[in-house]
Amino acid sequence: MVSTAEYVVELSRVAKRYADIVAVDYIDLDVKYGEIFGLLGPNASGKSTTLKIILGLVKPDSGSVKVLGINAEDDPVAVKRQVGYVPETPRIYEFLTGLEYLDFVGDIYGVGVSEKKTRIKEYLEALELEGREGDMISSYSQGMKQKITLISAFLHKPRLLILDEPLSGLDPKSARIVKDLLRELTAHGVTTIMSTHILEIAQAMCDRIAIMYEGRLLASGNMKELRQKARLPGSDLEEIFLKLTGTEDIREVVEALLK
Amino acid sequence: MNWKNVARLISIDKKSGRLIRGQKLRRYRESKVFQYLLYGGACVLGLAIGLAIGSYYNGVSDPELKNLLYQSARHLFLSLPILILLYSLVFTMMGQIQRTGVRSSIQPPYWLPITWEEHTLASTIAHLIGFPLASIIVFSSAIVSFSIFLGELPLATLTIFALLASAFLASTTTEIFRVLQVRLIGAVYKTSGKAAVWVRFLGSLLFLIAFYVVWFALTSGAGSITLIEMVASAQEAVWFVPYVWLGLALTSFMGGLLAQTILFSLASFLFILALFYVAVRLNVRFGLYEPPAITVSKGVYVPKVGLLGKLGFSSLEAAVIRKDIKAFTRRRELMYIFIMPLVFILMPLMQHLGMLGEPATSEASWFLFAWILLGPGAIMAAMLGTMIIGEEGGSVWLFFSSPITARSLVKCKYAFITIFSSIVMLVCGVIGILVAHPSPDIATALLIESLLLIFALGAVSLRAGIKGADFTEVPRPRMVRPLTALVNMLLCLVLALAIFSPLLLHAITMGYIPIPVHLPKIDLSIAVSISAVIAVVVTFVFYRIALNAAEEFLTEAGR
Repeated sequence: MVSTAEYVVELSRVAKRYADIVAVDYIDLDVKYGEIFGLLGPNASGKSTTLKIILGLVKPDSGSVKVLGINAEDDPVAVKRQVGYVPETPRIYEFLTGLEYLDFVGDIYGVGVSEKKTRIKEYLEALELEGREGDMISSYSQGMKQKITLISAFLHKPRLLILDEPLSGLDPKSARIVKDLLRELTAHGVTTIMSTHILEIAQAMCDRIAIMYEGRLLASGNMKELRQKARLPGSDLEEIFLKLTGTEDIREVVEALLK
Repeated sequence: MNWKNVARLISIDKKSGRLIRGQKLRRYRESKVFQYLLYGGACVLGLAIGLAIGSYYNGVSDPELKNLLYQSARHLFLSLPILILLYSLVFTMMGQIQRTGVRSSIQPPYWLPITWEEHTLASTIAHLIGFPLASIIVFSSAIVSFSIFLGELPLATLTIFALLASAFLASTTTEIFRVLQVRLIGAVYKTSGKAAVWVRFLGSLLFLIAFYVVWFALTSGAGSITLIEMVASAQEAVWFVPYVWLGLALTSFMGGLLAQTILFSLASFLFILALFYVAVRLNVRFGLYEPPAITVSKGVYVPKVGLLGKLGFSSLEAAVIRKDIKAFTRRRELMYIFIMPLVFILMPLMQHLGMLGEPATSEASWFLFAWILLGPGAIMAAMLGTMIIGEEGGSVWLFFSSPITARSLVKCKYAFITIFSSIVMLVCGVIGILVAHPSPDIATALLIESLLLIFALGAVSLRAGIKGADFTEVPRPRMVRPLTALVNMLLCLVLALAIFSPLLLHAITMGYIPIPVHLPKIDLSIAVSISAVIAVVVTFVFYRIALNAAEEFLTEAGR
């Protein structure tokens, strides 16, 4: 694979094992600048590990990882400085208020005082958290906590967003705002890599999609390319996904359960 | 009432209790035989104690002494119900304190077909299982075997019933307290508004102080004897307090007043029923009560520039320090770190004021206050160091994913440890100086020594805290692996002795600590200087090791 400035993320022959479990099995993956890239797969297919490898949270056993032109292993701090991350199950400091948490994250990423103030206000307004920002996070609902985590990922204006199930727990209006925001950010050159189980969202939002299964990369490309790969012309992402991951025998499972 | 449900709930409660104490589930722990072994052992121990005392009593030939022993034993029988009540209250309350800050719920899911009566009864009995019940069994079996020698078997039988009832009474009271405190705390937070965080912090500290004052008064030898004497004599004077009715029933029985015995026994039984009813009603009303949200700030958001920035900390480092200050004043499970300085201050203070029997002599007082000056800050630094990384819990992902370097991480965490411990040391020191009035040179030397210990032990423990960080949060935050904490405490002890040894030598050569050999005097300033050199070397070496450990910690984040 030739490294070019076209790609924000370049994974080459990346593998990761946890004892006997193969989490990521020698995958090659490229993500272009300014696109929304979807990473799909059933549970335990290696999506989260791949996202963590990109962010430098997990060291791969082999292969090379380049993020924004930086070798993630050599300088993970430089990568982290330019990335906004939302983990699958974000735990945030519940003893802080929403405002204190965002202030804390802003300082961690070195956002200037006036900039931080303006952005926090804007995001709180947009995601309808105004009026509750002074309450302790412990009293927030799951959706409110997710909103705070999303804001904290956007706060320092990252060039790359790595979002693991970003819309989880959000009400329809907030989900729509986040989706629109991601599209707007993409238009301004921000790249997003997102992992989700909601295939309709992935199909509607992502420019390109990769499907993982048991640590392997089964297919990647835009919808047209995926349809070709699955030999399912005119089908939606759900059908492609089920065929590629070999889990299309849904009817038999349901019938067995009904017996 | 479905008794099987009650039994199941008790079993769940006990299992969660074991998890809270950090015990892993093991097959032998689940074995019924092992569970009953504690109580069987308690029974055997109690019987042996009773037989030993009884044999001694039988062997006494002096009729006057025999009569004195007989009367004392009867007095003890009378005092036991109220003593068991107090001890059960303390232990069951301790259990409740232990459960504060536990994330996993021990409330039965409200959608299951369990009544509040069953839940309340199970909770009340579960409070008693373990040490409180084992203590009651020891007392009961000792009473039975001893009473055979006394010829007071009927009184002993009644006493055992009274002991069991007292324990249940205490546990029901704790259950009421548990439900009320949730409701009360909620109400206090609601009315305190922005001050809720500080109300909670100070309220928790006040509760701890009150609890430990009672605890020390009850558990210290002199305090217990005073209490038995007081209970035996004062029970009748406060006959209108329902908690003493069980004791009064025994007194009446001993006096041959059958009607009065029945009356007080019946009244006690009704009182227990009434308390249980109150506990059930409170659980119905507030059992699923959600405390209101604590609003810390309102109005316009103004980002802080702060003092820490002026002291040379980057915005990232200052943010972590500020966050940690909030954690230790807001998180219940972290507030318990204040127990240690409280104990250090309370014990000698109570000794000094004669609350634990005879007041301490002036020499003993002096040493205790030297301990107040040195101990709290140093131990606080050692404890904070070991838990400062692990306390991040599940939120540690933010550290792994944000651009924080090992150098910044160690710098801000170490700064927090030393600043926080120094404040505690200064507060304790001021109290110590006010009470003990040490000479200025001794006070200065001890304060310097305490600072040296804080800086050295803080670095040593931070290394351990990074290496042994445990981010487990359920059922309760672990923060550090137990073995790492233990090894670190031993290492801290050795290094603290090494740092303090020059001062110890000074004390010996000056004759403060008498030894048979005459040694040339070591000047206080020289002793402190040598101590400082040792402390600086320890601090430097362990700070470097902590840096390397942090580097490894951040790189290996996802492993």
